[in-house]
Amino acid sequence: MNRLKIAVTKGRLLEDSLDLFEKMGMDCSEVRSDTRKLILPVRNYPLDVVLSKAADVLTYVSHGVCDLGIVGKDTIMEHGGSFYELRDLGYGKCRFALAVPEGSDFYGTYRDRVVASKYPNVTKAWFAGKGMDVSVIKIEGSVELAPLVGLSNGIVDIVQTGTTLKENGLVPIETVAPVSARLIANTASMKLYQSLIFDFLDKIEEVTG
Amino acid sequence: MKQLIPTPEGTQDRLFAECAAFRRVEEAVTAAFRRQGYCEMITPNVEYYDLISAAGHPLPQESMMKVIDRTGKILVMRPDSTVAMGRVAATKLGKLPLPLRLYYNQMVFRSDDVNTGARTEIDQCGVELIGAPGLRADLEVLSLAIESLEVCGLSDFHIEIGHAGWFGSLLEALSLEEDQRETLLNLAESKEFTTYRALLAPYMDRPEGKALYALPRLFGGPEVLETARGLCDNPRALSVLDYLESLYGVLRDAGLSHRVQFDLGLIHTIEYYTGMVFRGYGKGAAGNVLSGGRYDRLIGTFGQEMPATGFALDVEAVTDCMELPEHKRPETVIWYELPALGQARALAASFPEGTAMLSCAETPEEARNEAKGLGADRLILLGRNERQEVAL
Repeated sequence: MNRLKIAVTKGRLLEDSLDLFEKMGMDCSEVRSDTRKLILPVRNYPLDVVLSKAADVLTYVSHGVCDLGIVGKDTIMEHGGSFYELRDLGYGKCRFALAVPEGSDFYGTYRDRVVASKYPNVTKAWFAGKGMDVSVIKIEGSVELAPLVGLSNGIVDIVQTGTTLKENGLVPIETVAPVSARLIANTASMKLYQSLIFDFLDKIEEVTG
Repeated sequence: MKQLIPTPEGTQDRLFAECAAFRRVEEAVTAAFRRQGYCEMITPNVEYYDLISAAGHPLPQESMMKVIDRTGKILVMRPDSTVAMGRVAATKLGKLPLPLRLYYNQMVFRSDDVNTGARTEIDQCGVELIGAPGLRADLEVLSLAIESLEVCGLSDFHIEIGHAGWFGSLLEALSLEEDQRETLLNLAESKEFTTYRALLAPYMDRPEGKALYALPRLFGGPEVLETARGLCDNPRALSVLDYLESLYGVLRDAGLSHRVQFDLGLIHTIEYYTGMVFRGYGKGAAGNVLSGGRYDRLIGTFGQEMPATGFALDVEAVTDCMELPEHKRPETVIWYELPALGQARALAASFPEGTAMLSCAETPEEARNEAKGLGADRLILLGRNERQEVAL
């Protein structure tokens, strides 16, 4: 009997995903158990859950070592890859936004704008789509810092509630893209395990409508 | 010396059993091509970038490996063989009777993002059937694709057939703005079905919109064609389904129905392919093992319109679906007195391939140690008129 492997992003998305799996009637006790194991079976359904970091979900699915994956749209937009994006799972909702220091006029100048982001590809593509030439600087840690210390004129980052922005004197002025968790599939797995994957999808549709 | 250890990004050394698997696939597949009357061509590893670009090749510029030639012109390492075959067909083979049956077995080169494990060198075997439009040409190439995987010994594989025209005619019927059309096309091509379906929501009151909405699930057995037929009665879309059904009918009667499936969402590089498109999938490979279709416009860009159809098989992907052949162990070492060189070579050649070899040692004692080190079963000492066998 074939089993599907699903790579799930650790953290908040994993919690929401396990809630979804349980609604679908799956026994996730082993996945929820406090263990350091990284591959965990669902006992009453042919599914193994592989715990990984967001960007690695794309890598595992692209290479076909995992058949399915659950990952945020933010990661997909930034890293891309070759896989099917099957479904918006509706949780993990937030948005990419352009935020600038309160009171500053980001667009009202002819001078080159500098934008800091953890997501340089998303940022470049969005400004290119607007026909605007900006310099993008990649930041690994807290991006809010960049305009505060004078490195950039604004940031493009994930905004959930906006509290961190506010506390650092930044305001979101434009939404770049909405973000939520997506179900992805390896292209060959989709063809070779069609009935297993469709059964899984149908079960999701039953409980999410 | 440290920098001499790794091979360049995306490349690898292939040793012994891996080579044997590659050669086995190449030999079996190209023999199948030759049996159907295809002739081999070898084209240069580099082509002018301008030529590839003018041919409307769908690969983005940054994915091609570039080289500057001695005159300062930009070359690319062959990004695929079809453009090169088309160039030769249009510019050099114009006087030959049609159709042309061409095959190749050569590398294509890609330059994708670093650290993704993507390959720079992709070994391919492929065919182009040039100058023949229509059903028979498509059937010839499809059945040859199935045979190519069969002769490699694959058991768990199938071909999925789609058609550029089904999606295209439905999209056209919705008469969308150009940029919206392009967005939908890109989303369907990159399989971003969530955004794709959201964009189609306003058109759900039209049968074409409903049919396009169903696209992500329109793959599987021949019943998919029936399902699609029920979704929409757009005449051009229906004629595409008729065509796919006639392909299926012939392949089924040829006993190949278990190898054939359909995917109406298979619309990769729709601007390049003009008719049926197909891909092969085998258990063990992460992507497709072969890919092809009809491209009636490409060769026209070289000045001579010629309908054409073909496919390329990815040798490494096929070997991923196979057991690696076992590496041969040396069993017999032959030490010879110098005047017996000729006999020694003949003797080595008489054993099964790869199991016997000559000793390079000066004396029989050294030869014994050498043979033991190699893990051989026996040492044969050969003089001009005598032969002695030592078990190890």
